[in-house]
Amino acid sequence: MVRTSTWIRLFLVLLCCFGAAAFLLAQQQTEGCIARIEQNGRVIRTVDLRGVTAPYELVLEAEDGGYNTVQVSPGSIAVIAADCPDGICVAHGAISKSGDPIVCLPHRLIITIEAAEKDAVDSVSQ
Amino acid sequence: MTTKKLTYMALLTAVALIIFVIEAQIPSPIPVPGVKLGLANIITVFAMFRLKPKETFLILVCRILLGAVFAGQMMTLLYSFCGGMCCFFLMLLMRRIVTEEQIWVCSVAGAMAHNLGQLAAAMAVVKTFGLIVYLPVLMVSGMLAGAFTGFCAQYLLKHLKKLGTY
Ligand SMILES: [Zn+2]
Repeated sequence: MVRTSTWIRLFLVLLCCFGAAAFLLAQQQTEGCIARIEQNGRVIRTVDLRGVTAPYELVLEAEDGGYNTVQVSPGSIAVIAADCPDGICVAHGAISKSGDPIVCLPHRLIITIEAAEKDAVDSVSQ
Repeated sequence: MTTKKLTYMALLTAVALIIFVIEAQIPSPIPVPGVKLGLANIITVFAMFRLKPKETFLILVCRILLGAVFAGQMMTLLYSFCGGMCCFFLMLLMRRIVTEEQIWVCSVAGAMAHNLGQLAAAMAVVKTFGLIVYLPVLMVSGMLAGAFTGFCAQYLLKHLKKLGTY
């Protein structure tokens, strides 16, 4: 039998490792400007947030008849209303950085931010 | 399976279901899918150490299915089912190597497996690997929640044992 003190040590080591990983991942987040909206694994819309001058809303219908209201603002994007049971997508708030996706699992929706890719920047400057 | 056993299992399922439905009404403090206390796990751990694996499995499956119906989470049934199965089978293994004072360890392992299974199912459904950024947070929350529910089950088992018939 493994001693209880060994289990406690293993528990604390793992907790520190995952805690450090979570902290480092949070540090890795970078400002981005391309918002990608995916539903059921398909990209349904990409928005360049730099090109948004006034906030507007999109209502996305889910497979189960539910909805998510997405607000696109200059530099950020958020889900401001939804009828999913957990409400996690709305609670997440607005995002403007990569590595911080808004997820609505009941509606199979995910919104991620990407830094402008090089060719995207090029096509703007050309 | 005697009537007494059946009644006992039904009672445990009902308790787990009530805990699950009440917990589903409380909004999560951290808006990350999968971060929760998972209080119904107390019953799973309890059953794991008091009943046969098959009986524990039945209680868990009934709770997951009925829980999804009562909490209106049919869309998330797949995620919770995957999580529940991973949790069950890892706890089944862990059960053999822990002592009565280490039941919480079994629960921690189960909670981590649950969150891992749920995350894998979610990544498969939304077909986005990007959800992996939630892995560390889900592991930390699983370990803390698993330890809490594990200690609850451990003390429950310890003190119910004194009562003899249960
Ligand atoms: Zn949602």
